[in-house]
Amino acid sequence: MAQSGRRDAPELPDFSLLKRLARDQLIYLLEQLPGRKDLFIDADLMSPLDRIANVTTLKQHEVDKLYKVELKPIVSTADQLCFLIRPRIQTVKWISVNLDKAAGRLRRYKIIFTPQKLPEFFRENFLEGDQRWVGAAGGALRLIHSLYGPFSKVYGIGQCAKMVYESWREQVEDGEQKTQQPEIGNVFLIDRDVDFITPLCSQVVYEGLVDDIFRIKCGSVEFGPEVTSSDKSIKVMLNSQDKVFNEIRNEHFSNVFGFLSQKARNLQTAYDKRRGMDIQQMKAFVSEELKGLKQEHRLLSLHIGASECIMKKKTKQDFQELLKTEHSLLEGFEVRECVSFIEEHINRQISMIDSLRLLCLLSLTENGDNCLFALVQSYGIEHLLTFSNLKQMGLLVEQQPGETLTVMESKVGKLVNDKTAGKLTDAFSSLAKKSNFRALSKRLVLIPKSGEEYDLRVPRDMAYIFSGAYVPLSCKLIEQVLERDGWTGLEEITRMLNGHEFAVSADSQRIVLVMFLGGCTYSEISALRFLGRERGYKFIVVTTAITNSGRLLEALLDNHP
Amino acid sequence: VVWIYHKSQKADEYLREIKEQGLLAEAVRQCVEAAGHEQEAETQKTLLRVKPLVCTSIKNLAHSLFSLSISVSAASFGKCFLSNFPPELFVIMCRDLRVLNAVRDYTVGIPLTHTQFKQMTVQVLIDRLVYRKLYPLAIEICRYLKTPEYQGVSRVLKHWACCKVQQKEESDEVIARTISLKLGEAAGISYSEIATKAYECGRTELAIKLLEFEPRSGEQVPLLLKMKRSQLALSKAIESGDTDLVYTVVTYLKNEMNRGDFFMTLRNQPVALSLYRQFCKHQEQDTLKDLFNQDDDHQELGNFYVKASYKEKRLEARVAHLQSAVDEYNKAKNEFAAKTTEEEMRLLRFQKKLEEEKGESLVGFSLHDTLRTLLAVGLHKHAEQLYKDFKVPDKRFWWLKLTALAEKEDWEELEKFAKSKKSPIGYLPFVEVCVKHHNKYEAKKYVSRVTPEQKVKAHLAVGDMEGAADAAIERRNEGEISTILSRCSPTTDRALVERLNRAKSTAAKK
Repeated sequence: MAQSGRRDAPELPDFSLLKRLARDQLIYLLEQLPGRKDLFIDADLMSPLDRIANVTTLKQHEVDKLYKVELKPIVSTADQLCFLIRPRIQTVKWISVNLDKAAGRLRRYKIIFTPQKLPEFFRENFLEGDQRWVGAAGGALRLIHSLYGPFSKVYGIGQCAKMVYESWREQVEDGEQKTQQPEIGNVFLIDRDVDFITPLCSQVVYEGLVDDIFRIKCGSVEFGPEVTSSDKSIKVMLNSQDKVFNEIRNEHFSNVFGFLSQKARNLQTAYDKRRGMDIQQMKAFVSEELKGLKQEHRLLSLHIGASECIMKKKTKQDFQELLKTEHSLLEGFEVRECVSFIEEHINRQISMIDSLRLLCLLSLTENGDNCLFALVQSYGIEHLLTFSNLKQMGLLVEQQPGETLTVMESKVGKLVNDKTAGKLTDAFSSLAKKSNFRALSKRLVLIPKSGEEYDLRVPRDMAYIFSGAYVPLSCKLIEQVLERDGWTGLEEITRMLNGHEFAVSADSQRIVLVMFLGGCTYSEISALRFLGRERGYKFIVVTTAITNSGRLLEALLDNHP
Repeated sequence: VVWIYHKSQKADEYLREIKEQGLLAEAVRQCVEAAGHEQEAETQKTLLRVKPLVCTSIKNLAHSLFSLSISVSAASFGKCFLSNFPPELFVIMCRDLRVLNAVRDYTVGIPLTHTQFKQMTVQVLIDRLVYRKLYPLAIEICRYLKTPEYQGVSRVLKHWACCKVQQKEESDEVIARTISLKLGEAAGISYSEIATKAYECGRTELAIKLLEFEPRSGEQVPLLLKMKRSQLALSKAIESGDTDLVYTVVTYLKNEMNRGDFFMTLRNQPVALSLYRQFCKHQEQDTLKDLFNQDDDHQELGNFYVKASYKEKRLEARVAHLQSAVDEYNKAKNEFAAKTTEEEMRLLRFQKKLEEEKGESLVGFSLHDTLRTLLAVGLHKHAEQLYKDFKVPDKRFWWLKLTALAEKEDWEELEKFAKSKKSPIGYLPFVEVCVKHHNKYEAKKYVSRVTPEQKVKAHLAVGDMEGAADAAIERRNEGEISTILSRCSPTTDRALVERLNRAKSTAAKK
């Protein structure tokens, strides 16, 4: 399963360095407030913190108690308080209010802001036009550059990508030039809004499915009682150290069960070796092998549990029809049936996010839709604002009956007189995005020819991550640019994607860093891993966040809690 | 030891004697130290010469001190009497003395002793020279002592420049040019500090010129603000890409300018405007409205009022906000939004009325949820009225009522509903929903009314394999037959399997 790939594929750089660096930095910051102290952490920083430092490390540096930031009055009696938070106005206000309450007491405070792993990047950057995060993304690039660079080639597409590139260049020029042997040669920066289709599709590769259903947080997932078949939840780290997971993470779900049962049989055989052992052999077995086998056993049963749970949810008729609809939309086939499926989906109130997702897909692949009204009636007027967001992002295009391109053009013409330049580009981009998918998909051959049998066990291209129905646009772009060594020959395509592409280069390298600005999905990562195996690249994916259809749309909801 | 040097005829003898007593190293050290306390350059030299004499191994180091004109030729005099005397002491002393001799010169006139010098450190000495405006000497000393540029040469140059900007007789251009020429590429020069000085001396224009040389645009901003060049400060802050800095300027501008000017300024700077909007969204909702108003952004204003309506508890206030939203949406020519908002107002009024009449909590629900609640509590008539008033599509209403009644397990009402007229969603949903609520008995009632295309599905849903088989065979549909076969167990449904297989082969032949 986990194919070894081409032999000339390079080794990945040592990324534990980044972890160590982050930990050292944290310790340095903690030490700046010498003595015993209580530490308050933003809830969404808990998981990232887990990855770099455990409680023992914190205790070693005189952290007494750990608290989650809950915006309630502070109960700590410590004389020194340290806050590790994301830079949000609300949190800082909460701290300042609590400072007042402690008036008259001598207390020392320290606030540490963390700009990294930017979960709000997508909405704030693309919807609100807030460029606060560009510098942080540039900073991340600079860090990677200083550790693993120098980069010899940088490609990118999207406005934000360009800004991040420039921000990084500026930061590098401030510092010194370095001459070490580069570990990462190529860099590819891509904006999420270059490709919205891919993250809107249902994921069917194991890791993506686990994310869609259980939501992976910072590389770890919490499997509930339904998976563990006990009354407890178990938190599992999902990475290559989990040998079972490592072999199935990139697989199409239809192969996973077969693999897991094979694995179970192998495990049984390994256990069975005990029979007929003499005492010496048994001793060696217990001390050397048994622990590993037990560990594998535990993981295997968890992943089998998870797969069962996924099966229960996903093999239902509904899901099959959902997939069929998605694929038809991508192919531009039987669109009328798709529309009535979406209508029924809304009528039955199955899931608001799914309804929105399908509507956006319809709008991106076809032209507009007329189900919006139904959606508002079903889910409340709050979503009027959600629509306004989706429209602004070009995810939804309202279709007036009988509206043609010329009508749109005349509207655009009117906007010119309105002197609202921003709106004009919005109108153009939505106009451009609206009908482009068909053309893009044809030019880049995103939809494999139908009718041909697609063996998901032996994938022949990246389309396997969507059951052979669609090659993710984002990954296809990366493939093409690497192959062509730049954007030459892709002019038509970049025009359709609203441009902002760039390429700066020296020598070619086989380790490619891809930075998704605004999030990427596990499926895309799987696709890139596949591409790497085929072509002898090693991809390193850096992203502002892991996303999926749910997260992407939830970020754009504007309903009042 | 000095004596040894002069009376060379007996030197060898004495040297050996001292060496035997193990005092040679101490003697050399004393000589070096004594040189430090000597004011006369000639005597210093004499004392220091002892060292190379006895310690040839440091010949090279001593050589580098050519400028002190310490003769090293005499080194040939002695053999290696003392090989492991640490050279640093000697080298540092030579360097210190040279510096001391330079400042002791009558043109400078700082008669420092070596002890004083060590006590006050080089930094302080440089500072004193700077205060006396002896910049060239200070720079020479920094270079000679290899003081890091940032603490040494650059610092002196900065002081020089700060002094330079106070020379009233020279024009701004000349001064700015001279400074930039002299400072050139010196590391760690902060032009903004020099500019600050110029500004403090009342030379704003010069300050601005100097700031142009500042490579870090972030550094320019605070001074520009101080000089009330806020527009320029804003552009520089945006140029720096540092959004915190942009916020600093924006907050400053907000306090300094009147509202109209402030908004106008932002309008010309989209980056700053969007940052300020972000801020207002979290902190100042009313300002946000003013911003939209200024831009005649009716769409955003509409959205603003809709959002504001969420926060209102009282119905009248809510409706009033929504009415404002409708007006704005109309101005924005967003018919869809205007119509949706109007409907919402209508819905709110309807809900309120019903709430008062029936005591059922409804206000704020979506149309769908309102309908479901009404159906759940049995207010069928009202639900019906709502469905007609709001032109809810038939299909949706049927789904809604079907699920609502099934949830309530009101099977009687469901049957009545099914018979009320022909179902626009067909009858398969009836079967499936009943099964979902574990009532196969009710489900079976609707199987016969399902269209032929969906009949197999319906039979399978209620677990009637025979019925499914009959339907599939009647339709001679190979795919359906296979579906049923896949659900049969070969042991218990043997006869059925055989029948299906036969039918399948005939269907295939056809």
